[in-house]
Amino acid sequence: MKILVAVKRVLDYNVKARVNSEGTGIDLANVKMSMNPFDEIAVEEALRIKEAGKADEVIAVSMGVSQSQETIRTALAMGADRGILVETDAELQPLAVAKLLAAIAAREEPGLVIVGKQAIDDDSNQTGQMFAALMDWPQATFASSVEIDGEQMKISREVDGGMESLSMSLPALITTDLRLNEPRYAKLPNIMKAKKKPLDVMSPEDLEVDISSRLKTLKVEEPEQRKAGEIVGSVAELVDKLKNEAKVI
Amino acid sequence: MVDKPQLNPETGSGLDDLRNAFEGRLLFSEADMEPFLIDWRRRYQGSALAVAQPASVDDVVKVVRWCVKNDFYIVPQGGNTGMSGAATPDNGERNIVLSLARINQVRAVDTVNNTITVDAGCTLAQVRQAAEQAGRLFPLSLPSEGSCTIGGNLSTNAGGCQVLRYGNARELCLGLEVVTAAGELWQGLRGLRKDNTGYDLRDLYIGSEGTLGVITAATLKLYPQPAARMTALATVDSPHAALELLGLAQQQLSASLTAFELISDVCLELVAEHFPQCPKPFEDASPYYVLLECSDAESQAHATECFEALLFEASDKGLISDAIIADSIARSNSLWALRENISEAQAAAGKNIKHDISVPISAIGDFVVQTEKQLLSQFPGVRMVVFGHLGDGNLHYNVSPAADLSGAEHADAFVGLQSQINKVTHDAVAAVNGSISAEHGLGVLRRDEAARYKSPVELALMRSVKQALDPHGRMNPGKVLPD
Repeated sequence: MKILVAVKRVLDYNVKARVNSEGTGIDLANVKMSMNPFDEIAVEEALRIKEAGKADEVIAVSMGVSQSQETIRTALAMGADRGILVETDAELQPLAVAKLLAAIAAREEPGLVIVGKQAIDDDSNQTGQMFAALMDWPQATFASSVEIDGEQMKISREVDGGMESLSMSLPALITTDLRLNEPRYAKLPNIMKAKKKPLDVMSPEDLEVDISSRLKTLKVEEPEQRKAGEIVGSVAELVDKLKNEAKVI
Repeated sequence: MVDKPQLNPETGSGLDDLRNAFEGRLLFSEADMEPFLIDWRRRYQGSALAVAQPASVDDVVKVVRWCVKNDFYIVPQGGNTGMSGAATPDNGERNIVLSLARINQVRAVDTVNNTITVDAGCTLAQVRQAAEQAGRLFPLSLPSEGSCTIGGNLSTNAGGCQVLRYGNARELCLGLEVVTAAGELWQGLRGLRKDNTGYDLRDLYIGSEGTLGVITAATLKLYPQPAARMTALATVDSPHAALELLGLAQQQLSASLTAFELISDVCLELVAEHFPQCPKPFEDASPYYVLLECSDAESQAHATECFEALLFEASDKGLISDAIIADSIARSNSLWALRENISEAQAAAGKNIKHDISVPISAIGDFVVQTEKQLLSQFPGVRMVVFGHLGDGNLHYNVSPAADLSGAEHADAFVGLQSQINKVTHDAVAAVNGSISAEHGLGVLRRDEAARYKSPVELALMRSVKQALDPHGRMNPGKVLPD
């Protein structure tokens, strides 16, 4: 069985995002970019399934600008077998990503597709679900444990008020929750090996997928700054300010 | 001698004269003063008549002049995060603690001159942040940066993890403003890289641990923000192999090598034991590890390429057997956490005897091997907790009791060995022309020990400097120089 894992290049989790001067998006010049943390968990899970002898190959797929190759190399250094980049400078919205992923799935015929439950840049939380719908596959979103047994798969997912257990047949889609696993570090020998692993680059046209955007971003702006606190001299002053300035009592 | 004012600690009466002398805050009750009279490691406890917290430089002048007039001693204090007890008053009855913490404004940032001028009470984190907002880097970085102040960093000539590339506090300082022991203001806030106009007063005050005057502001160097940073942890067999790796890294990365830290396996064991969120990162233990960081001026891709090339070559040459390259900031932070949690893990594990030594980098390998041998022959079973800034020749060479003697009931017996263990270690340092205090300073902790290793000529010169700048011994008595 092949496992397809989607990995997205995003602004590093620890970098403070700043709106660009034109107010059209986030400033990405000279800032640290890393693999979406939920996708790291997806790669780790795929590798664990393969190491347990339940899959033969793990393919890391990314979409976007040419530098996304670095993100795929990270997945290869963790242990994925080969990579595919769908290269484009155009903005990719979840539906376009789901369609591209479906086109690749049609070629590769994986038994399992694992993606992060959301990317930490746009927080859409849509790609996995759209992909499953396009493929007409069963889906298990926000998985916190995965057990594969032949053609069947058992999934636990956290829901309000408890755990939900699902059972489904393969091929299927999983989106990962933070609790699923702790991703491994890429070690030197594997980083060296990753250099020689195959990485195919193709375009959306090669896959005959229309990636045009359905939504238009009008404007991006910073949230209003929190005002500095104030030390009051007495309870009476506090009450007065709450009543007359803050108007909350 | 002027009579000591009789103080009523309830009302502060008797201190009215001092309180009226300046505008800032004056603390005199036992509870208010408590945090200023003990060092953060709770090893030194002193006493003071009051703690003065001036609100301006003018206030500092007024407090110092009051002390001169009334014959009081002055103990300057910043964030009280020092390692050697230099900011804690002694047990004398005539001490005034002068806390600079409330003088904490960033005065100016000059992005053309690449300098920042700040009040002494600014925290290091505050200065780093102000630099970052101006698109610059202030490279001094310490685990205590949220609390420690620039004034304290300069008066102790603090080091940290990036000395290898940017130098210690002294090398990052271009100008100082100082209130002298006589209560005069010396305005030396020059943002000049070149200034050969006689004796360098700035460098005298830096590292003097508050024994010559009070630093009230500084003009500091700024650097460009690097485009990318990479961190890696590599396994090495010995300090000698680590030194070879250092040579290779300096050759290949040149100025972009910003940190090179040696960590022994004992350290990572301790960290894993006391910080469950920091497990050992390799399945197979290695006797030593090196934490490297590079800061690249070009791009993430360039940084990755150079860093990987270095580690591949080191691996080809057999210097390292494995390595982890952190590919996100979170991963990089967790590698640094391994290094930064060592001190606390060691404290949690019980008593240990610390050394903060530096030796010529070429001598480190032999020093580590031979000192270990010598200590083991005299004190069988003791464990060496070795880590530090290998790239600067600075090691925190700490000694823990033997595993079967590490219980609390043996602690006193072990601490009793302190002077003998200090002597073996420091003699070995002196034998290779090293220093017994690389970055923590002398304070009271290493004062007498340092005097033992300095020549009479050097000590006499130091005393004449003290005599010239503080003839009445008013500044921070009992620190740096033995009586």
